[in-house]
Amino acid sequence: MTTRIMQPAPTEDTALVAETLGGNQLSFQLLVERYQGRIFGVVRHYTQSAVEMEDIVQDTFIKAYRKLHTFQHQSSFSTWLYRIAINTALDFLKRAGRNPVRAVEDPEVVGTPGRAGAPRSIAAPDSNLEREEIARITHEVLDELPEIFRSVLILREFEEMAYQDIADLLGISIGTVESRLFRARARFRDVLARLHPEYAVELG
Amino acid sequence: MKINCESARPLLSSYLDGELSEAQAAPVRTHLFDCPSCRESVQEGKVIRRWFREAREDVVVPSGFSARVARRAFAGDPGLVIPTAPVDAPATGTLLPFILKLSVAAAVALFAFSLWIQSMSLPSGEDLQASDRSWMFEPPPPPAQVREVEDSEPDGHDLVEGGGPEADRALEVEGPVER
Repeated sequence: MTTRIMQPAPTEDTALVAETLGGNQLSFQLLVERYQGRIFGVVRHYTQSAVEMEDIVQDTFIKAYRKLHTFQHQSSFSTWLYRIAINTALDFLKRAGRNPVRAVEDPEVVGTPGRAGAPRSIAAPDSNLEREEIARITHEVLDELPEIFRSVLILREFEEMAYQDIADLLGISIGTVESRLFRARARFRDVLARLHPEYAVELG
Repeated sequence: MKINCESARPLLSSYLDGELSEAQAAPVRTHLFDCPSCRESVQEGKVIRRWFREAREDVVVPSGFSARVARRAFAGDPGLVIPTAPVDAPATGTLLPFILKLSVAAAVALFAFSLWIQSMSLPSGEDLQASDRSWMFEPPPPPAQVREVEDSEPDGHDLVEGGGPEADRALEVEGPVER
């Protein structure tokens, strides 16, 4: 089933959360329906396996249900759910022995973006490439990035989240979101150029 | 207001993403007119965004997923009804000593009770003789209901016939029976 991802109304979330806490299973099912597309959307950037993806998303919603009484409405329900989803995905990868890179900072790109050797940039994806191939290359590069960079790129570039929402979700300041995105994009460029030199553009 | 590359660079991502206010964006825009290097960075940011945009795929959600998850969540729901106890709750600080004290008191009471039972009901080994059955358990008299049935025999003969001391005593008290 292909889902068109829409932005659910927060007021309806509040009502559905209250009804779920009151024991209404159907209300929880509606909450899942509202967000399942977005959660599948973010989790697929952490695993390519459909089975693992479903396990992680299912686990995310069950954890959310169990913790629902702790949801304080200080952030939006979607931000709260995203946080659970990303933590669940990272825990899953860790248990599976596929530990994501967890560099706190990346010396190579702290400060001015690293441009070791000849200055280079990257080319746009080949217009002849299938979307699946572009997705494969993009994920291949993302998997090489430290987790702090990968998360902000996923949330901004794929989920199109506002900086404030990313800051709330990751528990960091907007200034940190800005600088992380700046460095993450520089790192993405460098890794793409290294893994796929055909897309590297030497600048003269 | 003019800014240099050092001030402009950290703002380029935000500028590209439309996250700057007009007051913040205006000096960046001015700087970009003058700085080919920063312009190139913004252009590169646009290329990176294009990689992500074109890598987006449709989201596929398995059929019946929401109903399945809701059913599972409600079937195994301990979280909402069982309050989470604080990890450092002083449960062992109050309950355990109370249980220990209660156990000691119960043991002492049981021991005292057993001593009392022993002193009240059983003779000592020195007093006990094989012929002495006074301490033995005597069965209680038959229930009243049964006795009424036996007393209501028509002539009462069964009570005395068959001889024995009881029958003899009855004859002696009541004198000779006229036949």
